[in-house]
Amino acid sequence: MATLKEKRTCAQRCEDFGHFVWNSDNGTLMGRTPIKWVYISLYYVAFYIVMTGLFALSIYVLMYTLDPYEPDYQDRLHSPGVMAWPDTYNDLDLDIFYNMSDQHSWMKMSECLKHFLVRESPLRSVWDAATENCTQGHYFFQKKFEAPGHTKWACPFTQSMLGNCSGLEDPSFGYNGSEPCVIIKMNRIINFLPNNGTGMAPYVNCTVLDGHKNVGEMEYFPKNGTLDLSYFPYYGRKAQPTYINPLVAVKIHLVQEREAKIQCRVVAHNIAYQNFYDPYEGKVIFHIRASS
Amino acid sequence: MVRLQDSYDMFVEMDKMDGEMDVKIKKKKKTKKKEKLEQMKKEMDIDDHEISLEDLEMRYTTSITKGLTSAFAQEVLERDGPNELKPPKGTPEYVKFARQLAGGLQCLMWVAAVICFIAFGIECAKGEFDSYDDLYLAITLIAVVVVTGCFGYYQEFKSTNIIASFKNLVPQQAVVIRDGQKNQINANLLVVGDLVEIKGGDRVPADIRIITAQGCKVDNSSLTGESEPQTRSPECTHENPLETRNIAFFSTTCLEGVATGVIINTGDRTIIGRIASLASGVGNEKTPIAIEIEHFVDIIAGLAIFFGFTFFVVAMFIGYAFLEAMIFFMAIVVAYVPEGLLATVTVCLSLTAKRLARKNCVVKNLEAVETLGSTSVICSDKTGTLTQNRMTVAHLWFDNMIHAADTTEDQSGQSFDQSSETWRALARVAGLCNRAIFRPNQETVPIPKRIVVGDASETALLKFTELTVGNIIEYRGRFRKVCELPFNSTNKFQLSVHELEDPLDLRYLLVMKGAPERILERCSTILIKGQELPLDEQWKEAFQTAYMDLGGLGERVLGFCHIYLNEKEYPRGYNFDPDDMNFPTSGLCFAGLISMIDPPRATVPDAVMKCRTAGIRVVMVTGDHPITAKAIAANVGIISEGSETVEDIANRLRIPVEQVKKSDARACVINGGQLKDMTSDELDEALRNHPEMVFARTSPQQKLIIVESCQRLGSIVAVTGDGVNDSPALKKADIGIAMGIAGSDAAKNAADMILLDDNFASIVTGVEQGRLIFDNLKKSIAYTLTKNIPELTPYLIYITVSVPLPLGCITILFIELATDIFPSVSLAYEKAESDIMHIKPRNPRRHRLVNEALAVYSYFQIGAIQSFAGFTDYFAAQAQEGWFPLLCVGLRSQWEDDHLQDLQDSYGQEWTFSQRLYQEYTCYTVFFVSIEICQIADVLIRKTRRLSVFQQGFLRNRVLVSAIVFQLCLGNLLCYCPGMPNIFNFMPIRVQWWFVPVPYGILIFVYDEIRKLGVRRHPGSWWDQELYY
Repeated sequence: MATLKEKRTCAQRCEDFGHFVWNSDNGTLMGRTPIKWVYISLYYVAFYIVMTGLFALSIYVLMYTLDPYEPDYQDRLHSPGVMAWPDTYNDLDLDIFYNMSDQHSWMKMSECLKHFLVRESPLRSVWDAATENCTQGHYFFQKKFEAPGHTKWACPFTQSMLGNCSGLEDPSFGYNGSEPCVIIKMNRIINFLPNNGTGMAPYVNCTVLDGHKNVGEMEYFPKNGTLDLSYFPYYGRKAQPTYINPLVAVKIHLVQEREAKIQCRVVAHNIAYQNFYDPYEGKVIFHIRASS
Repeated sequence: MVRLQDSYDMFVEMDKMDGEMDVKIKKKKKTKKKEKLEQMKKEMDIDDHEISLEDLEMRYTTSITKGLTSAFAQEVLERDGPNELKPPKGTPEYVKFARQLAGGLQCLMWVAAVICFIAFGIECAKGEFDSYDDLYLAITLIAVVVVTGCFGYYQEFKSTNIIASFKNLVPQQAVVIRDGQKNQINANLLVVGDLVEIKGGDRVPADIRIITAQGCKVDNSSLTGESEPQTRSPECTHENPLETRNIAFFSTTCLEGVATGVIINTGDRTIIGRIASLASGVGNEKTPIAIEIEHFVDIIAGLAIFFGFTFFVVAMFIGYAFLEAMIFFMAIVVAYVPEGLLATVTVCLSLTAKRLARKNCVVKNLEAVETLGSTSVICSDKTGTLTQNRMTVAHLWFDNMIHAADTTEDQSGQSFDQSSETWRALARVAGLCNRAIFRPNQETVPIPKRIVVGDASETALLKFTELTVGNIIEYRGRFRKVCELPFNSTNKFQLSVHELEDPLDLRYLLVMKGAPERILERCSTILIKGQELPLDEQWKEAFQTAYMDLGGLGERVLGFCHIYLNEKEYPRGYNFDPDDMNFPTSGLCFAGLISMIDPPRATVPDAVMKCRTAGIRVVMVTGDHPITAKAIAANVGIISEGSETVEDIANRLRIPVEQVKKSDARACVINGGQLKDMTSDELDEALRNHPEMVFARTSPQQKLIIVESCQRLGSIVAVTGDGVNDSPALKKADIGIAMGIAGSDAAKNAADMILLDDNFASIVTGVEQGRLIFDNLKKSIAYTLTKNIPELTPYLIYITVSVPLPLGCITILFIELATDIFPSVSLAYEKAESDIMHIKPRNPRRHRLVNEALAVYSYFQIGAIQSFAGFTDYFAAQAQEGWFPLLCVGLRSQWEDDHLQDLQDSYGQEWTFSQRLYQEYTCYTVFFVSIEICQIADVLIRKTRRLSVFQQGFLRNRVLVSAIVFQLCLGNLLCYCPGMPNIFNFMPIRVQWWFVPVPYGILIFVYDEIRKLGVRRHPGSWWDQELYY
């Protein structure tokens, strides 16, 4: 052992290392002769080619088994999420703070909504055809692919349905004053039927959590904040490429200090809203403040 | 006594060496040591033995007749403290604990923890700590180190306790004269100046200046290793206190005679106390396993930094910010740390330590468990270790024949023919001319184990006659003793006169035993087959031959004779006077010879044979005579049959010793005197040339020289020892083995391992276990390392391809520290693949614990397959929930955006951040499950390195099977226990995802079987070189 424990100088160590890198005695480079390096490299190349092949095969088989129209499982999507726009975050809180007298400040909000609605904007020709098949107040079940391109119809939702909050008449969405519009959207989930197909339409209901005295009145567009049943169920991107989420706009009349914490909930008995771990499940909470 | 002086020189030298080494480390320590040394030298100049008794009385205010006064003794006791050796200043407990926290692996983990803190600090400073993972990881790393440290500490603490419990708890008593009164007090209450009395059988209670002595002899072997009794007398014979006769030393034994003396030193100030305290200064050697683990840590650290740096460059290239890339770098380095390995290694070692403890080897230092396995030379003591440490009758010569007696410990051997009349006469002499008696109340104890009052040979004879004749005490009662003359060194015989058992026969019987040549001188006839024949030249020659033969066996030979005394000359009531010897002591009738030896333990020859087949050299180092040593060595197989020493060859060929080619002689007996004149090169040469070595008449410090020489030759040396003076050699050895029963505390303190039964065979068990644990640790490490890759690749893919993170930090910790611990420990229960006791000890330079082949095979082949399994399962879980593989690529920034509540999956469904997060946890769990399934395959393939698993027995390791069951149960618990998602990020996953990795598991198993088949079929081939670890 004594030989093993000998203290070696740095120079000796370097020399040893040099010897390891290139050993002229038996012609080894880093512990192997060049030809052995070739062998081992080839072995690894072959090994990884085979492994990658197996992996590719697995993924291919996986993709082959998948249904292109609907996912195998929706374990995480029992209940749809709800979000509000303008989606101006301050860290984790949704804070819609703006200055009525500062155009730059409120323009940011209205621009956000404008963009949001543009993103949802329609392809008119398809829509008109779809509209014929839609019956308001009823689920729009489709067993067959009747729409063009082997798809299913999707009921149109137009910007104008948002009435005063459509931005058509008031491009500022009320942000130049104390009556801002907030647009609520419920996430789409394939085959999700609000109220389990009982025929009751889900609707958005906003409540003031904080600052009751600062909120005068809340107007919903469309009327009552209803998300019409004809938008359900959703059949997936491939089946309904033209599907547009129904929206609800809430016009909040701010008074006094013009600051409030508001919770907007999509009410349906199969939409959960009390999940501690998911604040956006079935509801959205936001702060709104209009300063001057 | 010369030897004792040597031993001092050696300590002094050692101290100097120590001092020199310390210069580099601590100057302070050096000066302290030097002072101690000077102080010791000064103290050596005692003149207590030279001054007159009056001066002595003055000096210690005592009286050589009345002793101290009790009051003054009390005062001195308070001043000097009790008369006992302070337990050698063992390492303080906190240092022991700290040592547990500072091993190679532990250092790696400390570094990793620091890196984690730094990374956490950077993230905090950037103000975006969305996860506390780094902090958790750092805390876990530290916790693991501390917890395993506590565990290791507890294990060692426990074995220290076992050792401590073995100490002799009965306080030693001493006869002291105080105030003119004789008292018996505990020896630890003695003080300087006390007048004490010692008699045969006592341990000398302190360093004593002898005042009066009658035939006092002491055994200094515990101090010097000399086995010859030394005379003690009141005269000062030498100016050196160590060589003068009028000082008896603490802890030596008084063999015979009586003496009184004044105590001149007590406790740690005694000579032995000073040796004990100095010996503890010899540095400890690093254990081979510690070296292996350091080597392993080097490999790990090298790979970690290589990988980390590569991906740092890649990350920079992809376009990450420097700080972000830096965090990636740190995360990769930390991910390389096998968190569970430390626990595995500690548990495996302590399991083996436990197993060894059951076989009477207590290991003080966990790492020493493995050292025994790498041992290539064992320097063994003779007495007590190889032998039974009790004189036993081995041979008898009567009727002109040598008869062998049964020397086995349990009397299971063959006995000799006891029908001869001569035997009866011989047994009668042996039984009667014997002063030894059994201690009372031992009827239930087997005869060989009974405690006897008497010297070694008388004890042997007593037990022998008890066994052969029957109840010897009663037998003696039948022959009433009328006179006896004990053994003394001038006569060299012992005799007694008895009445005969037949009341009508009024003759007296005189029986005598002693040194054979002296006995023969006094005989005129010899008993052959019960007939008294004149002792002529022919018989004398026969006697000589027998005597030489028995002596040649290294046995102690005694002659026995008797004579019937004529009833006319010596009528009943004749006054036999042992001083005048008014009875015949010549013209006796020779009965026979009895020879005794300390016979080898029954298990030893077998054990030595096992060592031999295991490629371990057993070197005998003893203080005994070369002849005895050689005889025992030949007997137990240290010198194998047919091996000759240089002298034997010279005898056989009748040529001078110088002409014999040294390389022809396999065996070699070197005695202390020769060793003294040898240079270290010559010793190395001798050790290299003669595979079978016996060192006789050596002093303990020569043992150290022998150990060093072996180490110079590249061996890993185990040393057994029991004396105080052995402690330096025990410390110097790679593994010091102390004797639990005979060993002194100093020896036990210096040793790494303690044999509770003092039996050499236990060492062989230790070797076997040590080798097994080395093999099994290799398997455990290979198993543990493998999963490092599937734990690391998700992160690498996450960085480079920006998929949602497939495996989280907490999940990794669960794999490392919960599910995989038990299986990796269970590999410690794996039986040996081949007969590990038939292969040579590992070459510490070539057979590493973790070699390149092991790391590469585990990481880049099995680990790679596991990663593929994990990703397959990950993509399956993602795709089936709506996230197709191609969508996942590059999704990371959106996926992790907690402001994005409506991210669309491949089907157009919208997901909130939390829903995505739980989906990510699902991925963690799925990846976790894949690693678990593959690790089950991994643990099965790791059962063997060369054999097929089916050859080894698929389910033979029950612990391993239960470990797999445990692993699965724990995995299920983690997955399906309510509350897990939010506590530990485990999701209740779909059952079919458990089965996605199964084909990969089977692939691992089949691939490894193919590898093993290739290795078995083509040893030495390219395949074997590259793929055998």
